[in-house]
Amino acid sequence: MFIEFKDVSFKYPNNDKNVIDHLSFTLEKGSMLAILGHNGSGKSTIAKLIMGLLKATSGSIYICDTLLDEKSIDDLRQKMSIIFQNPDNQFVGVTVKDDIAFGLENHQIPRQEMLEKISKYATLVDMMAFLDANPENLSGGQKQRVAIAGALAMETELIIFDEATSMLDPKGTKEINAMIKKLKNEHNKTIITITHNLEEALFADRVMVINDGKIVLDGSPQEVLKEQTILEASGLKLIDGIAIIKEIEKTSLLSKENKEKICEALWELTFKM
Amino acid sequence: MNDNIVFGQYIYKNSIIHKIDPRTKLIMLLLIMIGTFLIPSDNFILLLIALLIPLIAVVFSKISIFKYLKSLKQIAFVMLFSFAFQLFANHQGKILISLAINFSVTNIIVAILILVLFFLIRKYLPFKMLIFLGLVILILYLFRFPMLGNAFKMTQINIYEKGLIHGSFLILRVFTIILASTTLTLTTKPTDLTNAIDWFLMPLEKIKIKTSIFTMMISIALRFIPTLFNETNKILKAQASRGVDFNEGKFIEQIKQIVSLLVPMFVISIKRAEDLADAMEARGYIPGNKRTKLVKMKLKALDYILLLATFTLFILLILLRCGVYAL
Repeated sequence: MFIEFKDVSFKYPNNDKNVIDHLSFTLEKGSMLAILGHNGSGKSTIAKLIMGLLKATSGSIYICDTLLDEKSIDDLRQKMSIIFQNPDNQFVGVTVKDDIAFGLENHQIPRQEMLEKISKYATLVDMMAFLDANPENLSGGQKQRVAIAGALAMETELIIFDEATSMLDPKGTKEINAMIKKLKNEHNKTIITITHNLEEALFADRVMVINDGKIVLDGSPQEVLKEQTILEASGLKLIDGIAIIKEIEKTSLLSKENKEKICEALWELTFKM
Repeated sequence: MNDNIVFGQYIYKNSIIHKIDPRTKLIMLLLIMIGTFLIPSDNFILLLIALLIPLIAVVFSKISIFKYLKSLKQIAFVMLFSFAFQLFANHQGKILISLAINFSVTNIIVAILILVLFFLIRKYLPFKMLIFLGLVILILYLFRFPMLGNAFKMTQINIYEKGLIHGSFLILRVFTIILASTTLTLTTKPTDLTNAIDWFLMPLEKIKIKTSIFTMMISIALRFIPTLFNETNKILKAQASRGVDFNEGKFIEQIKQIVSLLVPMFVISIKRAEDLADAMEARGYIPGNKRTKLVKMKLKALDYILLLATFTLFILLILLRCGVYAL
């Protein structure tokens, strides 16, 4: 088991309400989990709890069977990396190269090895031509690709994408989703993607829907997408294919048999896209 | 990016100046700064030699001269004010110019009209500072002649030799320092600069002072200067689109309008700082811990030549100051 949450709760100081409310789940190594939820549902808090950036009010978190606490946190962080929502707020380096190197410098990687890793992962995210560029002058998608290269260079087993596409245009979103798919299929990384976009959850192995700090749905993307009422009640927008299926099911213009055939085809297409 | 803000903006060019070791550049800047203050305030030859060093660097840096001039624009007012102060307050030496000023009702009205006209149309004028200076000279010239009606008060403004020399020297001294420091920031990456500072502070680590925390703070500050100016620009435009004019209104109103800029700036900066702290922590940064460095600093032949030349000039200057040589 890579991650294990045991009855974890979290609330911010001076706030009575739990942001995370008695949450328990596990995540297998090498699998991809999509955590879905509306703004303020507590999904980003889960990411920060895993990274040890926030401390659980109660309950315990295990990473690779080791309890996450102040003693183990520095070692455990070497197994995990995170890409945040706003690329501008996570750049430390003044050039792409410097920024990719930041995590490596912290982990005391020798210079020669550092240069090799920078070159390897900048090529992987297709940013080799921008190594001396100022991150400020890059597009949103390119900025997130630099952040991904920084995370990949640390060669961690787990990568968390905390709404990494929410500030990007459709082109940038497409680039980052393609990169996540590539990491999942070709690099066998354990991935957690946090999003409020159902489409981004389609290629995950497992989808978890969070509402008010609690798990309201947990299963494969197909299983979760079938629960349209719960998804809507959780403040999530249904993806186009599912919304059309819902409308077809309501209509009286088609026979029952035709409705079933069309819905089945649409359902299949939704997951193929 | 706010192009008017030059400080903290590194511009990548494949130039010889960019290739100089940051430690050499820092030492040179420090010696130029101290040196310009050691030069006796009437020795223009020595000051021009000191100015020659940043001027050569500007030429070889391959960066547009306008980028450097923009950094001077920021302090043009302070420079002009200091010059004017020296010019009128220093009463040493021979009188070079003596102006008889005639205060008459007409003169005062004309001067006020010129100034009011300038403030009304200043938005549309290029080189505001130079035009303003020209207008002040024009007003002084007008005051030499009593127009319509007798002068009710007459006074004498004298410009002394030392005032002019010291004023010009002061401007040239500030110009040298600003040009040298702008060359450093435009041609040196903030990370290289902080690595150099880190290197100089290394001896303090021996007495258990965590200098790496200090240099990381400098590095982040330099990294975020352009970002924050950029953010300020966005807020200014957002507020302007809602009708806020930061240049208009009474003084109190202008102060109130600045508050509408400062509050979102603080909120954004704090949010950025929180996010950055999380990102740094998540990437394994532990304040004060040992880190390896991507940048390997190595002094090359050019660095040794430059250091030798600068130190030689500096020592000669000290000897001159001590009265060993007379130039």
